[in-house]
Amino acid sequence: MGLEPMDDFERELQQGMLRLPAPPYLKRKVMARKQARDGEKQHRRVVFWQRLAASVALCGAVGGGVMWHNVREQRKGEAAREQVMMALRIASHALNQMNAQLEEHDDGK
Amino acid sequence: MSRDWQPDFEKLVDEHQSMVFSLAFRMTGDRGLAEEVAQDVFLELDRNLGKIESPEHALNWLRRVVMNRSADALRRQRVRGMDLWVEMDENHGAKLEPRSSPLGARLEGLLATLPSAQRAALVLRYQEGLTPDEIAAALESPLATVKSNLQRGLKLLRAKAVSHLKEYIRGT
Repeated sequence: MGLEPMDDFERELQQGMLRLPAPPYLKRKVMARKQARDGEKQHRRVVFWQRLAASVALCGAVGGGVMWHNVREQRKGEAAREQVMMALRIASHALNQMNAQLEEHDDGK
Repeated sequence: MSRDWQPDFEKLVDEHQSMVFSLAFRMTGDRGLAEEVAQDVFLELDRNLGKIESPEHALNWLRRVVMNRSADALRRQRVRGMDLWVEMDENHGAKLEPRSSPLGARLEGLLATLPSAQRAALVLRYQEGLTPDEIAAALESPLATVKSNLQRGLKLLRAKAVSHLKEYIRGT
């Protein structure tokens, strides 16, 4: 089948089934669609990189903000600890003075 | 396989547009739909251009993809409840370009009334001159199925020709 010699009927069929000419505008339409698709692909690529850059910038800003906030909180904590230590030192100094006066008073008796 | 060969999309469109359009038209029976299928096939070729290794590969790839896309288009039409071949039937041959042989044109009209699997096998056999092995590769079907479709299609076409084209046929 197929490789055997064709009979008249098959030859007529083959004659009737020659390739048809494509519409003259087919290639133009294909090229226009390809160009439009390539343009769209390029646009999507640009938008992707823009979004990526915006995301990186946003992440940087948020990360920076969080870091700044943490540093600020840490500094506040250190300042508060310094104040507490200072208060404790003053209180300790006052108590030492008071203790010394009491001892002097007791010795005087 | 020649790795020196670089596919040129525009050249491939120039070379194969007639083949792609003819296969799509003979499978779908609708000029507009065939144009749409042909455009889609070439755009798909553009997307897969990096995988095409030789001019023969491009030709075989296009044949296989246009047959698949035409079958998909026909299926979509049927889902929408429009069997184009019912509309075309007898007028199909008249819509084609002028032929060298009026009998050939009428035969092609009758070909349009065959089941799509038989039509696909016959179109590849008589338009493209492919062997059953090549048709099996293009349709991604078993060789036995292709041979059966060719035989049944040809037999059915002969029977239709005898009853419809008595004025042309003598002793087929």
